[in-house]
Amino acid sequence: MKLKPSFIAYDTQDQSMLVPTGSAGFAGLVQGNRTLGAILSLLKTETTEAEVVAAMCARFDAPQAQIAQDVGRVLDALRGIGALDE
Amino acid sequence: MKDVYRFADAVVAVESLYPAVHDYCRAYRFDGAPELTVRITPADLTAERQKSAAEDRAEGRAVRDFADDYLEILAVYRKLAEWAPLRETVLLHGSAVAVDGAAYLFTAKSGVGKSTHAALWQAAFGSRAVIINDDKPLLRITQDGVTVFGTPWDGKHRRSANCAAPLRALCILERAAQTQVIPISASQAMPLLLQQIYRPADPAALAATLRLLDRLTQTVPLYRMGCNMAPSAAVIAYEAMKG
Repeated sequence: MKLKPSFIAYDTQDQSMLVPTGSAGFAGLVQGNRTLGAILSLLKTETTEAEVVAAMCARFDAPQAQIAQDVGRVLDALRGIGALDE
Repeated sequence: MKDVYRFADAVVAVESLYPAVHDYCRAYRFDGAPELTVRITPADLTAERQKSAAEDRAEGRAVRDFADDYLEILAVYRKLAEWAPLRETVLLHGSAVAVDGAAYLFTAKSGVGKSTHAALWQAAFGSRAVIINDDKPLLRITQDGVTVFGTPWDGKHRRSANCAAPLRALCILERAAQTQVIPISASQAMPLLLQQIYRPADPAALAATLRLLDRLTQTVPLYRMGCNMAPSAAVIAYEAMKG
């Protein structure tokens, strides 16, 4: 899976966002912290949920189960707005 | 039907199916070699009709049926806005007023009262104030600064001028019991600006738009204004933002 080209990950100083193009079929914004930004960054290239969880575990000091749950929640939200190619 | 115009210093030819768009843009007519030709086809009008219907449904309204020549006016603006970021220009939904030659741009969620507030500036400052555009100004965002340009796409009150002014401040407008203006950071402004800026369908043009938005928020002072629409609000806003 990876982000569709019609969604662009965008970071400001203290937050991360996913911005849809005018043709994405979703008119809102996804906003979050650096954890969201890290997940979006991984999704710029083809990857799997397991690879995303592994990369996040290597980067953040938190229990794997918690990270897996957080990643799953973000991916579900991205699927919900049609932002993922799978 | 074809004619040539200048929008935000860009010379643009418009080839239309109907004459109305040329009447709509007549204040921007220009003699020169175009950098861009906007050519409207029946498919563009169909796309506009579908987009308008989708927006009506999303907002719970009855679907409105617009005439083809009106849809063509929208199609021309959309094609221009799609191309503009590649020329360091973006379209931002808002009301831009110039006082003594410096522009102040107000943006807000729909229905907050941008136009009402702009009218307060005109009432407060008289001939010192010019409404550059009351709905869809173009912003040219270069290394040298940000300039606001009028466009013919100027909202239901049709208030605009074919002129330009350097942007002194950008203000997010909100309704409040009392008028108050506070400086805000780029991060605080960004969510609303991303909703109000024209987001192109082309990913490369959207990426260019985001880079320009970064430059805009780094170079122009940003404010949030709670506004009660009293006549004094314009003077309070001006005094807070004039620098």
